[in-house]
Amino acid sequence: MEAAEAAVLDELEELARGPGAGAAIHESLPGAEWNALEDAFLRRRSVRKYKAKQVPAHLVRRILEIGRYAPSQGNCQPWKFVVVRDKDMIARLERYCVDECKKLSRLLDYSHYAKGTLRRAVSRLTAGVFNRLDHNMLHPVPVSAVKAIAEGRFAVFHKAPTLIFPLMDKRGVGSPEVDIGIVGTNIVMAAHSHGLGSCWVGFSKLLARNKELSEMLGAVWPYEIVETIALGYPIGDPTQNHVPRQTHEITWWEDGKKQILY
Amino acid sequence: MSPAIQRHRLPTWDDPDEAVYRRVHIDAAACDGCKLCTVICPANVLELVGAKGDKKSRVKVDQRGCISCNNCLAICAKQAIRATESYDFVGYYKQLDVGRFSPPRRF
Repeated sequence: MEAAEAAVLDELEELARGPGAGAAIHESLPGAEWNALEDAFLRRRSVRKYKAKQVPAHLVRRILEIGRYAPSQGNCQPWKFVVVRDKDMIARLERYCVDECKKLSRLLDYSHYAKGTLRRAVSRLTAGVFNRLDHNMLHPVPVSAVKAIAEGRFAVFHKAPTLIFPLMDKRGVGSPEVDIGIVGTNIVMAAHSHGLGSCWVGFSKLLARNKELSEMLGAVWPYEIVETIALGYPIGDPTQNHVPRQTHEITWWEDGKKQILY
Repeated sequence: MSPAIQRHRLPTWDDPDEAVYRRVHIDAAACDGCKLCTVICPANVLELVGAKGDKKSRVKVDQRGCISCNNCLAICAKQAIRATESYDFVGYYKQLDVGRFSPPRRF
């Protein structure tokens, strides 16, 4: 027993001597150049066009390893990973989501009726009622995406060769949805570091409506599809430039005073 | 309309006065018509006028729907393209407490 414990301690001591050891003990000066990790965050893009080339299996396993080390509430790790690399399966998932989008589009998209017509007024009213019930999924942006999907201008899973579903265990501590966001960020950034592109796909929630597909994905109680991460090699080099982004208000309380910064 | 009521109003998403999408700005002199941005645009708003790779070809912003993601700038080898304002909606979905667009700032 003692020998086994000593072996584990030896292994841990060996692991601690990696290149990142001691990284926490230094001070960064104002205006310093971006470090490698910051630069990676700034250059990550949501990639929606992929090459047909499949991602090597070892890389997917490696990326999931980084996911496994994500922080979670109470260290409860409320996730289960599902990896789909089967072309027929991906095509089936895509087809189901497209069909659902077509139905949703017929029901909620009033933009294909001319202004001033009764049909438009009725459709606008229906959309309004649904919109009150779900402010987030029926935000104008996903609604226009639903339209694009229904018209075949936009693919739900972006024809990515690999899909990762970090399924959420509903019984997780606190807010397991947040933990899925964090594990996904780990996955996305690890993928980026290997020159892969990735994209968060929220439309995969539609799959929960289909019992057979949910069972195939293992998304049955207590697991739930929250988001999907599409993975593949990007077309072109989406990391050429840093891009501008919106700034957001920062409320800054210090020394009993409130400041508004941007 | 008072802000309290305005807040509860849902925008008509296909009305340009209520759903304000931004157009991307393209420096026509720098663009070499490589077509990459039109391929990767998530909102499908870019279109190439002319043959791919032809130096006289230009990218045109054709449809509404730009989500100001700037992926076109990220992929452009010529830095010829960018969106400088965010999309916005009136009513319930109005963007709040946002400042100007800015590249990453090193504090």
